[in-house]
Amino acid sequence: MTDSRELIAALDRRVERRDERREFFRAAFGMGALAVGGATLGFAKRADAQTATITDADIFNFALNLEYLEAQFYAYAATGNGLAANLLTGTGTQGAVTGGQKANLTDPVVIQYAREIAADEVAHVAFLRSQLTTSAVAQPAINIAGDATGAFTAAARAAGVVGTTDVFNPYADDNSFLLGAYLFEDVGVTAYKGAAPLITSNAFLDASAGILAAEAFHAGIIRGALYARGVATPALRVNADRISDARDALDGVTGANSGDLDQGISSVTTPLTSSLGATSAPASNFVPTDANGITFSRTPQQVLNIVYLNRAAATMGGFFPNGVNGTIRASVA
Amino acid sequence: MTKQVELLEMLERTENHRAARRSFIRLCGGAAAMTGGLALLSACDDDDDDDVTPAPTPTPTPTSDAQDIAVLSFALQLEYLEGNYYTYAVTGGGIPAALQTGVGTQGAVIPGSGNGAARAVTFGDPVIAQYAREIAADELAHITFLRTALGAAAPAQPTINLSGSAAVTTPGGQAVGAFTAAARAAGVIGPNDIFDPFLNDQNFLIGSYLLTDVGVSAYRGSARLITNKTFLEASAGILATECYHDGVIRSALYSRGLTVPSIFTDIQRISDARDGLDGPTDTDQGIGTAGNANLVPTDGNGLVLGRTAPQVLNVVYQNATPGTTAGGFFPAGVNGSIRATVANT
Repeated sequence: MTDSRELIAALDRRVERRDERREFFRAAFGMGALAVGGATLGFAKRADAQTATITDADIFNFALNLEYLEAQFYAYAATGNGLAANLLTGTGTQGAVTGGQKANLTDPVVIQYAREIAADEVAHVAFLRSQLTTSAVAQPAINIAGDATGAFTAAARAAGVVGTTDVFNPYADDNSFLLGAYLFEDVGVTAYKGAAPLITSNAFLDASAGILAAEAFHAGIIRGALYARGVATPALRVNADRISDARDALDGVTGANSGDLDQGISSVTTPLTSSLGATSAPASNFVPTDANGITFSRTPQQVLNIVYLNRAAATMGGFFPNGVNGTIRASVA
Repeated sequence: MTKQVELLEMLERTENHRAARRSFIRLCGGAAAMTGGLALLSACDDDDDDDVTPAPTPTPTPTSDAQDIAVLSFALQLEYLEGNYYTYAVTGGGIPAALQTGVGTQGAVIPGSGNGAARAVTFGDPVIAQYAREIAADELAHITFLRTALGAAAPAQPTINLSGSAAVTTPGGQAVGAFTAAARAAGVIGPNDIFDPFLNDQNFLIGSYLLTDVGVSAYRGSARLITNKTFLEASAGILATECYHDGVIRSALYSRGLTVPSIFTDIQRISDARDGLDGPTDTDQGIGTAGNANLVPTDGNGLVLGRTAPQVLNVVYQNATPGTTAGGFFPAGVNGSIRATVANT
């Protein structure tokens, strides 16, 4: 399945890719400088400020913004229609969806994935809104277009999934849809996991665990499908790995929790020690985990870096052209 | 998308879950009051290095909180079961001896003999073989992590019936291989047939479904009970990993079901059997049908279903009777303070 040449290349990539990423994203995202003293000082200050005021509602509203994005993408892909109008209202500035279309899916299995995940994400939107009641934020402006103006294309170009003048349309076919979904899914998992220890209400924590779990199911399904299809179409795995690298570069390289927070699906060498002794063999990587078998965490700010497609301090961009609604809205460098 | 009736049912279920968890919290003697704390944000420090070390879950100082010990110890018991299953399937042997020691009564894995014996699966589909290897590695990592987190309080591996054999010898006497017992009870096979999860890809996936779905529901149900924020976050990460596993397993079963429709029926029977063991609340779902997949077991809010620890014990002991302390996959019971089923009324 994996020849040794690929393995060596993969290992080389793991060693080298951080430096490459830094260079690449400096160019791709127009960043003049990577985080140095001044920027991190600002980060710490901002974190302190948020510590003083952040509430469970702030966290759930932040999550709601992400759910709007995921729900719109999947709902459009599965049905050709977005969220119902009564699920879009709330505090802040309500925005419209740019793009979004029924995906040209042909594999009945992928059609089922799209339908079920869409239903779950719509349910998450409705559930979070019901929990937040009058404090629920409105849907912000969302760009899920499949054309040259789309955030998907910007992300795919930056990641090297398509050429710098090419278009990435996640609605084009089964494989494109899976890659588009992949772009979001692991991010949701890391966002909910990162937020888990910040939540003070026991009921909110319980609900959050349930949503985290659903997102991880989705991510497993999407990654497993990309891995399985990648056996016949290796480019799929390569592109998924590129998206992973892009996300990893966007979310920063500073801070105690901002090392390697992302992993692709290509083979890694997995040590496996049983009562029969130690073995080591190339394995799939359909679960992005640390050495403890535990998935990664992202801070809300790191999540915003990714969905804004900007590794600098920003309040809008990428999938949210006018930013998200709520108190947690700024990424940091 | 959500019908009114479903919504009402969901609200009722949520109430039932809450009631069950409340009684479990009382059982554990914990107030389950979550301390606030936004310590994680302070992790956004000015560390400016950019090395390639993966951001690890912090090596925890072993917990001393009684409730956390109870919850994590219980999780470790389930990981021993899962870890041995996947490790056997991949390597033909169980987890390393160094990972089996601890508080309580250490037990061995009972592999059984002949048809249904625990052994390495001869995988036909290399993708399934990859899934198995990766899951095995993750489960071993979970065992190691939880043992570290619990320190000297870590409970030992209990006796585990990992067999599909027709008859095995356990500390309590002769028994049926636990996989076969589960499959017979669910009606997946006849009362005199055996279910061999190590026979081929399909049986391995069904065996995986039998165990991993339960692991997901256990971590999902216990998340709110953990008081220490470091362990809470770690537990959320293990929950997520188990869900990735389960998502892959359930979707692999679904895809195979398109050509082997009996898979849908068998999975639904296993789900119904588990759901019947743990009381009246809806804690379990099959993988749907060919035309309507159900790859994620969720309630009407899109939240994954959870079980209390005693409900999990109903399933792994394969016994709905309150007060049961052993049986099924754990013929001598589990180690740790959470070890008995309770009434699920």
